[in-house]
Amino acid sequence: MTGKPEFFLVGLSHKSAPVAVREKVALSGDDLRDALVGLRQLEGVAEAMVVSTCNRVEVYVYADATQPGRRFFLDRAADAEGHLYERSGREAVRHLFRVAASLDSMVVGEPQILGQVKEAYGVASAAESAGTFISRLCNRAFATAKRVRSETDIAKGAGSVSQVAVELVEKIFGDLKGRAVALVGAGKMGALSAKALRDLGADRLLVTNRSPERARALAAEVGGTPEPWESLNGLLAHADVVIVSTGAPTYVVTRELATQAMKARRGRSICFIDLAVPRNVDPALSDLENVYAYDIDDLQKVVAQTHKARAEEAIRAEAIVEAEVMAFSREREARAALPVLAALRRRAEEIARAEAERTLAHVGGLLDEKGRKSVEAMAQAIVNKLLHGPTARLKEAAASGDSDLPGAAAALFGVEVQTQERARGQAPEAASAPEPQR
Amino acid sequence: MSIQVLRIAALFYAVAAILYVLYFARPRHAALATAGKWILGAAFVVHGASIGLGCKEYGGMEFFSLRGGIVTIAWLAAGFYLFLQRLYRIPTVGAFVVPLVLVVIAPTLLLSSPNLPASVPEGLRRPVLTLHIVTALGGVAVFCLAFVVAVMYLLQEREVKGKRFGALFSRLPSLDSLDQLNQRLVRAGFVVFTVALVLGAFMAHAVWKSAWEWDPQQVSSLVIWGLYGTMVQLRHTGWHGRRYAALTIVGFLLVIGSMVTLNVIPGATRHGGTYQ
Repeated sequence: MTGKPEFFLVGLSHKSAPVAVREKVALSGDDLRDALVGLRQLEGVAEAMVVSTCNRVEVYVYADATQPGRRFFLDRAADAEGHLYERSGREAVRHLFRVAASLDSMVVGEPQILGQVKEAYGVASAAESAGTFISRLCNRAFATAKRVRSETDIAKGAGSVSQVAVELVEKIFGDLKGRAVALVGAGKMGALSAKALRDLGADRLLVTNRSPERARALAAEVGGTPEPWESLNGLLAHADVVIVSTGAPTYVVTRELATQAMKARRGRSICFIDLAVPRNVDPALSDLENVYAYDIDDLQKVVAQTHKARAEEAIRAEAIVEAEVMAFSREREARAALPVLAALRRRAEEIARAEAERTLAHVGGLLDEKGRKSVEAMAQAIVNKLLHGPTARLKEAAASGDSDLPGAAAALFGVEVQTQERARGQAPEAASAPEPQR
Repeated sequence: MSIQVLRIAALFYAVAAILYVLYFARPRHAALATAGKWILGAAFVVHGASIGLGCKEYGGMEFFSLRGGIVTIAWLAAGFYLFLQRLYRIPTVGAFVVPLVLVVIAPTLLLSSPNLPASVPEGLRRPVLTLHIVTALGGVAVFCLAFVVAVMYLLQEREVKGKRFGALFSRLPSLDSLDQLNQRLVRAGFVVFTVALVLGAFMAHAVWKSAWEWDPQQVSSLVIWGLYGTMVQLRHTGWHGRRYAALTIVGFLLVIGSMVTLNVIPGATRHGGTYQ
């Protein structure tokens, strides 16, 4: 292998590629493991990690060149070419940090992505394709994501219509245990919301539709009980949350129907969520006591507010990411200077020891034990005094991002340096590394 | 002496109130609520010490004055809230209760000594009297908490129904939990208040030779008892939510209103003091 490896990213995401391309390259489970092993075996690849979700597939390699990453995609989908983006070095680091912090997500601030990146790292670790560099990088990325999460409000608020529905229902009923949810109609968003409520602990999920077959199919899909359309009246007497999304052109839930239902419910609160356009729930029924009714516009307004608030928070989050990227780069450079220092010191100590031995061979007979010790100590002291200045300056240069000085020092003193970060699993520099300045 | 100690307690209440309000404004910092709880605990202890000192100073007579009553109700309300926090996770309620406690005791800090009746009839100096005072004030303290929770309910209902999903919406607890808590508090307060009323009738019999004398204090207490009793009953017929919260607020205003009126107008009632 030649030269110093660099960190590269090649990938495509919801921003650059349509789902038709993304699904061709997406990987999971054993396929992902095999792909990592394959990447690792390529010439020039020291470490590799693949983040594969439904919104993005990204190959991160610590390697000599970006080519292995590109090949990963082109081998799987020839038409990926035009959709790929590439980053290297600090840019690639920043990209990973932004992804983990959910700044590059379709819904900025959504919480799943961090888990997905963690999983990608876990798989890479298990496949032994993630070494010291990627480990260090990922830990930093996770810490960054955590900081963004706790120091900004980027994850606050509801990011989607079904999330808004869930939040609303929680503010009305609190705990959903023991509550029944009715799903009226077969709209997709309705099913999503009903599922979300079920996951929150709603006891029963009653599904009804004008077509009994469709009701049965939908009930099976969301894990509910099908109910005949004619029993809508009775349904309203039992269900606490009613999600309505039929294709009907008129109000399915009228004010009268709701008034009757409230009588049957003896005033127990009920919440209607109308996801249909045109609307299926008469908006006038929210005048009734303990009746809460929302339509799709209400929910979408909240989603829009959330997105706006998150966009503002994203600015603060970007600053955190930037600071972390800088800190990571500085640490990395500080580490890069260490091999030179170590080699320098090793060399100097060798010389000192050899010279002390030679001197002692000549005159050692004239000295007692204490005298011999003094000669050795003197040699060591000369080394320490001589190297004190260069050591301090090299560390300083590394911390401030100057990578020329270590190279110059190596050339000047004629020491050979192998890049330590290459040597995977060699219990690296960390043992003797000073805490880099932040 | 007891006033000085009460001023220290007020200082603690003020700090606790600030912490709880800050927590309400910035719910991400849970440590604020925890700190608020501890400071409130300290305030409660100091406040209790002040009441104990007051008992020694005035020979227990301060409980016959409006000031003594209010200070004790505030103390009990703070104590009940601390106790409730062990049962429910309701740190946001603190942002409402603690400032209210502070506001209630603030005027009493200005008085150097309470306006006390001269003596209590011999026949009344019995443990039953102490129990009557404790249960009456305790019942009012619980009604006070119910009042706070009801106000929070109405605020949250306005947010939820009016589709205003703003800062209050995300910070206040759910309607259902506020409603449930309100109901439990009303029920508990009613039970305690009932005990106070029965004991009161006993004592009325002791001093006036008749349990019912149409004294304004007796009448207002009976009305209040009836109102809260009705609320307990209405619950079984499905009354809840907004109307229930409104009724809770009315009930408490009646309690405080009658308490202040009867104590401020001289001779309005023969309850308390000399009973003549």
